[in-house]
Amino acid sequence: MASLSSAQYRSYSSNSFPPASSNGHRHNHRLLSFSSPIPRRSPPVVLCLQQSQGNSRPNVVLMEDGAVATPVNPAQKKEETVKKLEDGLLSSSGISTEELKEAAGFDVKENESSVSITVVGASGDLAKKKIFPALFALYYEGCLPKHFTVFGYARSKMTDAELRDMVSKTLTCRIDQRENCGEKIDQFLKRCFYHSGQYDSQEHFAALDKKLKEHEGGRESNRLFYLSIPPNIFIDAVKCASSSASAASGWTRVIVEKPFGRDSESSAALTKALKQYLTEDQIFRIDHYLGKELVENLSVLRFSNLIFEPLWSRQYIRNVQLIFSEDFGTEGRGGYFDNYGIIRDIMQNHLLQILALFAMETPVSLDAEDIRNEKVKVLRSMRTLRLEDVVIGQYKSHTRGGVTHPGYTDDKTVPKDSVTPTFAAAALFIDNPRWDGVPFLMKAGKALHSKGAEIRVQFRHVPGNLYNRNIGTDLDQATNELVIRVQPDEAIYLKINNKVPGLGMRLDRSNLNLLYSTRYSKEIPDAYERLLLDAIEGERRLFIRSDELDAAWSLFTPVLKELEEKRTIPEYYPYGSRGPVGAHYLAARYKVRWGDLGIEQ
Amino acid sequence: MTFTTHFSHCSTSCNDNSKLFSSSSRSSPAIHYRFSGSRRLCRYRINSANGNPLKALPSLPISESAADYDYDDNVETGDSHSTLSITVVGASGDLAKKKIFPALFALYYEDWLPQNFRVFGYARTKMTDEELRNMISRTLTCRVDKREDCEQKMNNFLGRCFYQAGQYSSEEHFAELDTKLKEKEGGKSSNRLFYLSIPPNIFVDVVRCASLRASSATGWTRVIVEKPFGRDSESSAELTKCLKQYLTEEQIFRIDHYLGKELVENLSVLRFSNRVFEPLWSRDYIRNVQLIFSEDFGTEGRGGYFDNYGIIRDIMQNHLLQILTLFAMETPVSLDAEDIRNEKVKVLRSMKTLQLEDVTLGQYKGFSKGGKLYPGYTDDPTVPKDSITPTFAAAALFINNARWDGVPFLMKAGKALHTKRAEIRVQFRHVPGNLYKRNFGTDLDKATNELVLRVQPDEAIYLKINNKVPGLGMRLDRSDLNLLYKARYPREIPDAYERLLLDAIEGERRLFIRSDELDAAWALFSPMLKELEEKRIVPELYPYGSRGPVGAHYLAAKHDVRWGDLSGDDS
Repeated sequence: MASLSSAQYRSYSSNSFPPASSNGHRHNHRLLSFSSPIPRRSPPVVLCLQQSQGNSRPNVVLMEDGAVATPVNPAQKKEETVKKLEDGLLSSSGISTEELKEAAGFDVKENESSVSITVVGASGDLAKKKIFPALFALYYEGCLPKHFTVFGYARSKMTDAELRDMVSKTLTCRIDQRENCGEKIDQFLKRCFYHSGQYDSQEHFAALDKKLKEHEGGRESNRLFYLSIPPNIFIDAVKCASSSASAASGWTRVIVEKPFGRDSESSAALTKALKQYLTEDQIFRIDHYLGKELVENLSVLRFSNLIFEPLWSRQYIRNVQLIFSEDFGTEGRGGYFDNYGIIRDIMQNHLLQILALFAMETPVSLDAEDIRNEKVKVLRSMRTLRLEDVVIGQYKSHTRGGVTHPGYTDDKTVPKDSVTPTFAAAALFIDNPRWDGVPFLMKAGKALHSKGAEIRVQFRHVPGNLYNRNIGTDLDQATNELVIRVQPDEAIYLKINNKVPGLGMRLDRSNLNLLYSTRYSKEIPDAYERLLLDAIEGERRLFIRSDELDAAWSLFTPVLKELEEKRTIPEYYPYGSRGPVGAHYLAARYKVRWGDLGIEQ
Repeated sequence: MTFTTHFSHCSTSCNDNSKLFSSSSRSSPAIHYRFSGSRRLCRYRINSANGNPLKALPSLPISESAADYDYDDNVETGDSHSTLSITVVGASGDLAKKKIFPALFALYYEDWLPQNFRVFGYARTKMTDEELRNMISRTLTCRVDKREDCEQKMNNFLGRCFYQAGQYSSEEHFAELDTKLKEKEGGKSSNRLFYLSIPPNIFVDVVRCASLRASSATGWTRVIVEKPFGRDSESSAELTKCLKQYLTEEQIFRIDHYLGKELVENLSVLRFSNRVFEPLWSRDYIRNVQLIFSEDFGTEGRGGYFDNYGIIRDIMQNHLLQILTLFAMETPVSLDAEDIRNEKVKVLRSMKTLQLEDVTLGQYKGFSKGGKLYPGYTDDPTVPKDSITPTFAAAALFINNARWDGVPFLMKAGKALHTKRAEIRVQFRHVPGNLYKRNFGTDLDKATNELVLRVQPDEAIYLKINNKVPGLGMRLDRSDLNLLYKARYPREIPDAYERLLLDAIEGERRLFIRSDELDAAWALFSPMLKELEEKRIVPELYPYGSRGPVGAHYLAAKHDVRWGDLSGDDS
């Protein structure tokens, strides 16, 4: 099981610390165009240098079969990188060899660039559960640069020690690499600081700026702000951060989380407001589904396997299903959700993003702009969603085995008369030559019987199938199906028709399987790790561009408005059930059968 | 409809051979059925030899079926069934002991044989019925997944085995056999199957005697013949001609036991019942196809027969070529035997005659490993010391038709190699304009998709795909989309002989080789084989237990192919 990759590893130096430009994006292109031998961030980054820990142990991937996929000799490779960087950079930007060496991870001199990551809304849930742990994981894996600082910013009064205490409670080490974990946690916490302040106070951000400067110690500073705050204070925080706490010498980037508005208008207003203070290149709209391993792998599957691409069109694909389900409800946190509903919360962003990746034409390259251009084309080729192509549901309480599961409106944070959908199914169409007529069905719901996210591709039936009589009356039941299970238990499998061994001629559907947990023993990184690292490196492939966002909203906004104007009542379904039956009728209208609710999955 | 009228309708149709196939089974929406037509109708409501409902019946609208006809298991009592007698000619031989009798027992055990069947052994050795039963019983085993009543069933089975000693060329002795058969058949309509498990030089004698003296008067008579079917075009044509003096084409069942292997059967299912494969099945997407057979042992003192034939005749010209035709054929009109065989013949006739320069030969030599000495081929006492018979061969074949023009079909077969396996490997072309090119290094061909059908051992299907290694980077590796039969189907997979015997009994000819097919197959190989022998081309020697002669790599390289089984990322 030899690895096919050439020896390449993650190196920030190549493009993410542009020494003299805060416009990382344009700089990127310049850099990449003239020096092809430089290990590029997009896509072939692989291993993290253990810079911040001065530890040169390469990041080793263990295959389940015992093979070790680590083709690099780190030290030697580093030298090569430096050499190449020199060759590549000196001609154009006139920076010194020393700086380059530092950038590539050599301890030559203290005067290096630094990265400060400020988590705005540090006491929030997402920060505690996802952002700090992801930052620690990156640190643990040696993916963060040598000089990095993590700042928490929130309104609560807290000392650095209190923040560290709070952060430390959620840190865990990767299960496959537990050594020195305690020590590394301590080291990481030492780089965490706290600053309390109002989200709309320029003054407080100026104070933060001062603190940041102290830690940067005169090095070139790069600053990443992660806005983990409610949408109504986005703009305030951006304004203050941008005007009072921007990096003077390096880049300043801002990660924003959903919701990006509630509809076309509010989204456009938000974008407009953000752009008053930030350029497009500084805005990193995160959709954490795009950071999932199998979503990343989707393009690899399509574009690096000959056997899939020929099948990737209306000629062979009958329908595509994008399915998201949670097995719990709002559980006392319905306040935010009730204002948005499942369509905005899951479909318009996560599922639509996956759809766009799935359906896009082959991009010119794997560069962020090329990919995002193709995604926008898909969105713009799509038919605006119509009300009759949507089914909505809301879960009601259900008692099973003596335990009563509360209904959505039983949640104290939800209005008793709420008609907010907690379940929705929708049929979408892409009116381009590749996908004309192929239904893309989406389904998302809370409080369902299972938990998962998957892409199902159902192929057409075999025309003139010789084995028709072995299949029974419904030919569609015997079609091939490609399933990409995004979570949990990442897997790819292809359902094929196969002869049951034995003397008869009985066919059954079996799977050609790739279960990640058996093939790859390494823990799969959390989506936030990938996305944070990408933001630090200026890789925008997995972030949503403004025009993409606009196009996405314009597909859903009319139907969302109509639902709200008409106060369409959702179909009720019991907590823990398979969702409202309406979803089946919607599917049936387009001759689709949900792949996840069949007898065999 | 009463049973008797139904039956009499059948018994006529059974003699009417292939014409009835499609009409009889097409109409039934069977879940579990076998292909054959006419025979099935006949046994339609009949109990199996075990008294259980006979397997493999189509679900025609007569549901009372077996239960209404409570036949007892006593084969001696006269009821109105037809009988089936299977005569194994050469009963004391190795194949008979190891494969044929066990396969018959397995069929019996699994309720595939009709109620009134008997097995006769015929050979020159003097033996009593009891001695035959004794001999057979030593090799019988029960299916691992259904052990109940095994002992009892063995005894029942052995009770149906009889022996007749006789010369292979004696009409008189076959007449005696006929008498014995008639006696056991008890005047019922009789169907007779002869399995010729004998050396090729006495094929025709036996066929003559059996046909003239021991043919069934009331039912069908069929003869199964094993390879070798001649040594070249001429001898094969001669053999066919002789056989046809006594038998019609419909009576001849040329067995190629590779066609009875589960995954070879599955090949057509994969292709024709999966939308995802058929579009890829052409020169547009397939770069090359590899058919690989290897044994991890040599002739081991049994080289006498082999030395006269060599690996090309023994494995390539029949087993591998048959698989190739199944793989490459166009979609047949139906799954009926004649339709499939028509398509196979078309492939053979579109193929370029094999050229000497597209063949590499090898012969294994002695090798000592870990203190153990493995003998070379010519160390075998049954092999002439100066033999140049190839024990290994690799060949590149081409099909000059619209679908396959320019795609090399590489075959490789050898004895005394490092592994034991038979597999089909389909290597796809590389992705044009691959976006991930730089993740692959310089040789794009190393990163292509590959479909592997492992016929034996450990039946499996897997598709090698490029996949992202999970983690923060973007490293690709080839992983497998897997279907390991053992994991998915815990049931024991039947031996190829079981399937083929059953097919012969049912008159299903799909997996047997038709005369014109055989002719076409020989025509491809004969000129090259003759040239080899005329020029006395010396094979490249390779050590026992090695990966074969390196010449195979050069042959592959000449056609831009890399052997998939020796590439390092596959064991």
